[in-house]
Amino acid sequence: MVKSYLASSLEEALELRGKFDLIPYCGGTDLMIDDDEERAYLFLHQVPELKGLNEDDEYIRIGAACTFTELLESRLTPAILKNAVSQIAAPAIRNLGTVGGNIGNGSPKADTALIFFVTDSKVRLMSSKGQRTVPISRLYLGRNKLDLKPDELITEVLMPKHGLDNYYYKKIGARRALAISRLSFAGLMKAENGRITSFATAFGAITDVILRRDDLDNLFIGKTLDEAKAVKDEYIKAYDKAIVPIQGRISAEYRKDVCMNLLKDFLDSMGI
Amino acid sequence: MENIIKFNLNGKETVYTGSPSARLLDVLREDYRLIGTKCGCKEGECGACSVIMDGRLVNSCMVAMGRANGSSIMTIEGYRETERFAALDKAYAEVSAVQCGFCIPGMILASECLLAKNPNPTAEEIREGISGNLCRCTGYNAIVKAITIASEGGRGLW
Repeated sequence: MVKSYLASSLEEALELRGKFDLIPYCGGTDLMIDDDEERAYLFLHQVPELKGLNEDDEYIRIGAACTFTELLESRLTPAILKNAVSQIAAPAIRNLGTVGGNIGNGSPKADTALIFFVTDSKVRLMSSKGQRTVPISRLYLGRNKLDLKPDELITEVLMPKHGLDNYYYKKIGARRALAISRLSFAGLMKAENGRITSFATAFGAITDVILRRDDLDNLFIGKTLDEAKAVKDEYIKAYDKAIVPIQGRISAEYRKDVCMNLLKDFLDSMGI
Repeated sequence: MENIIKFNLNGKETVYTGSPSARLLDVLREDYRLIGTKCGCKEGECGACSVIMDGRLVNSCMVAMGRANGSSIMTIEGYRETERFAALDKAYAEVSAVQCGFCIPGMILASECLLAKNPNPTAEEIREGISGNLCRCTGYNAIVKAITIASEGGRGLW
């Protein structure tokens, strides 16, 4: 019989992960869809170090085993993340699904990953040999492909605390409960003394990896709203070129139209 | 992991020695003959297999047995022994909220988890609470009504 393992501490989990070829299992809501009794899992739900949320001056630190329900119940969870999480599936799925799994699955449709992209969050990866912290955009190499070594585990997400108040989030799905994102968009803007100090956008479920073009968003940095308006067309044109949605269950043309509509609606809502 | 999984099932300490990657749903139905837990979709969309795990509603088709280690699981068979069940049972019957009945074990457990968290839910909150439980007979209105009645009549229970 294929051997699965149950870890009760982070040290044990990392040791097992380094020693055997195991699939990390936390919530299971993605894994169990095509479950196979021959799979060898590393069960992580009893690892205390992976649980809960903390904060320091700069970051909200979210344990990889934190469930969506725990995010909704925590006072530390920023509103933009709560908004996205509240639209994930239904209560029973939110009670199981975790942040680490949402990222680890590698899907561009992952609703929390979109928020981590738009906020330029970082992900902590640990192995028994050491650890590294990488910007989430660098963790994703392609569809379902992460820069995660065979002995590494996702242990924590570091979400910047500041500049998240003025946000925009929309998820387009078929059925409200349980809908998998067909397309999702998040945007953030912060202005100080009449000038835009940060501006970020991200699109989910349209390309192999969540689309985050900070090179385009930087066009608005340092500008007043009036100055931003003057370059709005240029920005939209650049994004129009940048978005090349993949054909899925819904047509690429539909996706493209909705993307551009959401982008324009976001700009309007921010006064640009 | 020696394939020994310990969990509490309907109040009884239980040891399971089969595959840790087996589905809780299948194990409940086949190994423990708890067939009140229904199998609808096996992909976490219909809620027919809902059980309560450590006080929270989960789809048992989405739980591998290894994940159940150390947890407490309550199925409809365990819940039906409670006073809260009696209140929900009465309310569902009162407004004929049950037709074919296939979704009902899951729907009852979803009702319990909703009321445990929020004893006086609005109709909107009830709909959100049961949003993961599909019913193809009733059109939901009777179920929402039943949960409202249980909430109003069962004061002090939740």
